[in-house]
Amino acid sequence: MTEHLSSTEHLSSTVLNALVDGELAAEQAAAAKEHLDHCSACTSTALHQALLKTATAKAGQRYQVPSQLEQRLRRLASSQAVDAPDLHRNADTTPWSMRRFISPALAVAATLLIVAMSWFPIQRRMHTSELASAQQAALIGEISDLHIATLAANQPPEVISSDRHTVKPWFQGKIPFSFNLPDNLPSDTKLDGANLTYLHNRPVAQLLYSIGRHHVSVFVQENSGAREQHPLLAEHSGFHVSGFQTSDLEVIAVSDVDPVRLTGLVRIIEQAQTAH
Amino acid sequence: MTLLPWTRKPAVREIRPGASVFEDLALPLLPALYNVASWLSKNPTDAEDLVQETFLKALRGFESFEQGSNFKAWIFRILRNTYLTSRSGLAALRTVSLDEELAEQADSGPTLYPEGAIDRQTPEINLIRLTDRAALQRAMEQLPPLLLEVVLLCDVEEMKYKEIAAVLDIPIGTVMSRIARARASLRTLLDTDTGLKRGSLA
Repeated sequence: MTEHLSSTEHLSSTVLNALVDGELAAEQAAAAKEHLDHCSACTSTALHQALLKTATAKAGQRYQVPSQLEQRLRRLASSQAVDAPDLHRNADTTPWSMRRFISPALAVAATLLIVAMSWFPIQRRMHTSELASAQQAALIGEISDLHIATLAANQPPEVISSDRHTVKPWFQGKIPFSFNLPDNLPSDTKLDGANLTYLHNRPVAQLLYSIGRHHVSVFVQENSGAREQHPLLAEHSGFHVSGFQTSDLEVIAVSDVDPVRLTGLVRIIEQAQTAH
Repeated sequence: MTLLPWTRKPAVREIRPGASVFEDLALPLLPALYNVASWLSKNPTDAEDLVQETFLKALRGFESFEQGSNFKAWIFRILRNTYLTSRSGLAALRTVSLDEELAEQADSGPTLYPEGAIDRQTPEINLIRLTDRAALQRAMEQLPPLLLEVVLLCDVEEMKYKEIAAVLDIPIGTVMSRIARARASLRTLLDTDTGLKRGSLA
């Protein structure tokens, strides 16, 4: 507000607006008040402006957030909180049971996409690494979008157990392959449960782990052997993907935990496959 | 079983050390975002899409948000830009009259707006109308989007001119002239809002 104010001139609409909006500097406000003290026309207009502003403020408060939208966005926003586990824990109002399955839900989407892309025949037609890496970068970008969008799909695991002797047998008869679950996990890592999912009509075991407050999905599938092996380590928007292959299995893990710890868990699972 | 060698890269980056959690910043603003989104898009479905899209974009871009700066202005700017590129936003902008654009071009400072004609109307009629919430809402609905948004941000959201300028990415002088035009339009609309129309809603 640089406009010159004189006590004898009527206040301009800009000054009147700035007055009711509380945007006049102290000096300008004082000059305006001095004018208003002896100008009933401007006082009336200023009062009117103030009333209009107040009425507009009230009339403008019109729409209530639908509870369904609020819940959806609450879940969505809390997924981000998982990224910063050391902060604002007390302010975290989302029930733990709700947030528990967010990361796995994201991970499902991420992994399905990654796996689908890399297992698809189209992948084999990519001869140049440039094409492959561009494709992967684009894919990971897509995955990141899908991650968040898939948050609404929020379901508990089919088998809820931290006991590997409960989780592993649960898959018997459900999948045409077998795998080992590691005995000793690091102290902050635990098994939450597992799901049976399908990928291209083939069953896939989805193991749900927690590392601290971060959630990890580990997908285990029979190694089709039809695919070239290439390293799978990706990172985008805080999500990391890591994996390994044996002659029988293909394993891919997804999480927002830091990649060192994710890779640590993957390595433990990898070692469990050779231990028996 | 054979172990296959995998090359593993070390940690690429840590995630926002010391950052505020997105939910603590964004969720309290949800009612305000939804309210403004509803006003702008004029239907519940588009408003929901707009708010959700805004949240998604804000989440994805949260790393670029400067901690300690004005989150409300930041996320409202995302909402506003998202609206402009949305179906309802594009449709609304197409119908912005030529007068609007011309008036916009003339906005080079706060003093250029013509005085008198808009500010010196008989207050008595309006004072009565101001108590009629529905009439005021009808008037707001008829504001062009560029004027409506400035009223919402200024009066409903109680943002400072500086914040509004940041949200809309326009100079403060333009904010002030838009506010003047918006309030003048509201008065005119209130004056022309006939009792007949109100009666038909009763």
